[in-house]
Amino acid sequence: MSFSNDILTLMLFLAACAGLVGFMLAFSAILGPKKQSAIKDEPFECGIANVTPYSGNFSVKFYLIALLFLLFDIEIAFLFPWATIFKSLGLFGFIEMFVFLAVVVSGLVYAWKKGALEWD
Amino acid sequence: MTWDNLPSLYPVLVLALGMLVVLVAGLTRAGQRRETRLILFIGMATLALAGVAGAGLSGATEISGLFRSDAFSRFVLFFGLISTALTLVLANNSREVAGRRMAEFTAIILALCTGLFLMSAAKDLLMAYLAMELVSLSSYILTGFRRADRLSHEAALKYVIYGGVASGVMVFGMSLLYGLTGTTSFSGISKALTGASTVAGAGQVGELAVVVAGVFVFAGFCFKIAAVPFHQWCPDVYQGAPTPFTGFLSVAPKAAGFALILRFLADIFPATGAHEAKWPLVTLLGIISAVTMTLGNFTALHQLNVKRLLAYSSIAHAGYMLMGVIVLDTDGSAAVILYLIVYLFMNLGAFAIIQLVSDSSGSSDLPAFTGLGTRAPLLAVFMGVFLFSLAGLPPLAGFIGKFYLFAALLKSNQFWFIILAVIGILNSVVALFYYVRILREMFLRAPAGEAPAAPAVPAVVMAVLALLVVPTLIFGVYWEPIRSLAVYAASALNLM
Repeated sequence: MSFSNDILTLMLFLAACAGLVGFMLAFSAILGPKKQSAIKDEPFECGIANVTPYSGNFSVKFYLIALLFLLFDIEIAFLFPWATIFKSLGLFGFIEMFVFLAVVVSGLVYAWKKGALEWD
Repeated sequence: MTWDNLPSLYPVLVLALGMLVVLVAGLTRAGQRRETRLILFIGMATLALAGVAGAGLSGATEISGLFRSDAFSRFVLFFGLISTALTLVLANNSREVAGRRMAEFTAIILALCTGLFLMSAAKDLLMAYLAMELVSLSSYILTGFRRADRLSHEAALKYVIYGGVASGVMVFGMSLLYGLTGTTSFSGISKALTGASTVAGAGQVGELAVVVAGVFVFAGFCFKIAAVPFHQWCPDVYQGAPTPFTGFLSVAPKAAGFALILRFLADIFPATGAHEAKWPLVTLLGIISAVTMTLGNFTALHQLNVKRLLAYSSIAHAGYMLMGVIVLDTDGSAAVILYLIVYLFMNLGAFAIIQLVSDSSGSSDLPAFTGLGTRAPLLAVFMGVFLFSLAGLPPLAGFIGKFYLFAALLKSNQFWFIILAVIGILNSVVALFYYVRILREMFLRAPAGEAPAAPAVPAVVMAVLALLVVPTLIFGVYWEPIRSLAVYAASALNLM
């Protein structure tokens, strides 16, 4: 019983949502003023007209550097909390962190060897 | 966590370490042939070591409530290891991936293999999500592995977009489940749903809320197994991905997806005292199953590209296997597992042959297969075995797989289950039609123009093909070992 009641509530809610959206779209289409002009059809950003059309490609190197930066940035983010409780973690924490560092460093070696760090 | 449980994580550690070693080994400046051989050796050694580590385990251990190593997850581990090993050998002999970048391929597929095991071992929403993402992200990369091919790029992009949406919806459903129950662990959720939890203020959770959350979660799961309506990525991705990886993709992640669904359902809705939302969700899965196999089969009828055709066929197979899932007892799950084992051999085999044909003729369209029966009789006969097995004809392994699925449904003796079984049987008849179309092309037709060269089959690939064909034939007449293996793995799920 409660299941069909729940469904009914959900359906009513969905109908209300759809009704509200339909109402707003329909009335703004009917009542809104329509004055087309060439300026209105132009694409713009932040209210400022475009100076030049967008063209040209971004070098993929930017993404590569950004990605590597993010990776090693996060590595540092892991190192800070470790450093603050370094003493209470003892030898276990020390070894654990070096395992983590070894994994990250092998990533660095890989990126280096593959030439990801070279700009030209 | 204590150190005692560490051995159950050895397979994961071995695979992760192997992945790192492969990546670094790929940087050596040795000659290309030696390098690929070294990479293949390290990859295979990693898989073998992980297998040894997995074989040393017994019983069930649970780590931090996140990860459970039992007969069921170990089955998926071995399933993943075997399919990865076969795929590695095939990829090494494929025109589409072999060469300088074999190291990346090997490393990423090892990561994927780790994800498969973790998916089947997950006992927690977080673990399930992370494992699924590991599998998905690796799949995206390997789908777009053919850098020079536009189809491959398109496939990878489509896969990323569909996959991102599906996993977003799934995480939303998981957050609802967490909000309703205050825990992310499967067993905790199950307790909290029925009000058996000891958390203060806990009571029975409303049925509709659980159904809605469940539907969202299953959106992600159904994406992984390519069930309707989350199947649209499948044909494009299968066609665009490098063929050896397509074979892998149609087998291993699908198996892990089914493992996760089985584990999730078995844990959230235990055999006794399950929440009342169980039946609406199971009914929904039943409907998905019927629609999936019907749509998959009927769309496959019109396909002109063999990879695309097998993509729709693999959608239909997901529908068949869902039939076994919804019975929700040990018999049904064992039938699903049995089907997965059989499916591994026949589907990987079919894709291996497609790889050989498309490497030699440069296309995987249907005309590339015309006259294969005279060009390469052995390959054509093998393909025939795989296709008839996929269609489920006796005395091949596919028939046994289907037989146990239908048997599990009929044994439950419920009206709708029997209706579903009838739909499944009718679908098998439709499926036969498009599999036979490929056979007709291979045996009964002569190529219109000049015949393409016969595929060159390296000895290793022939060995892999033999490894795939022999079980497909043997399990059709002697299936007791895989049947008892399936029952053993399924019994770890604590179903009825």
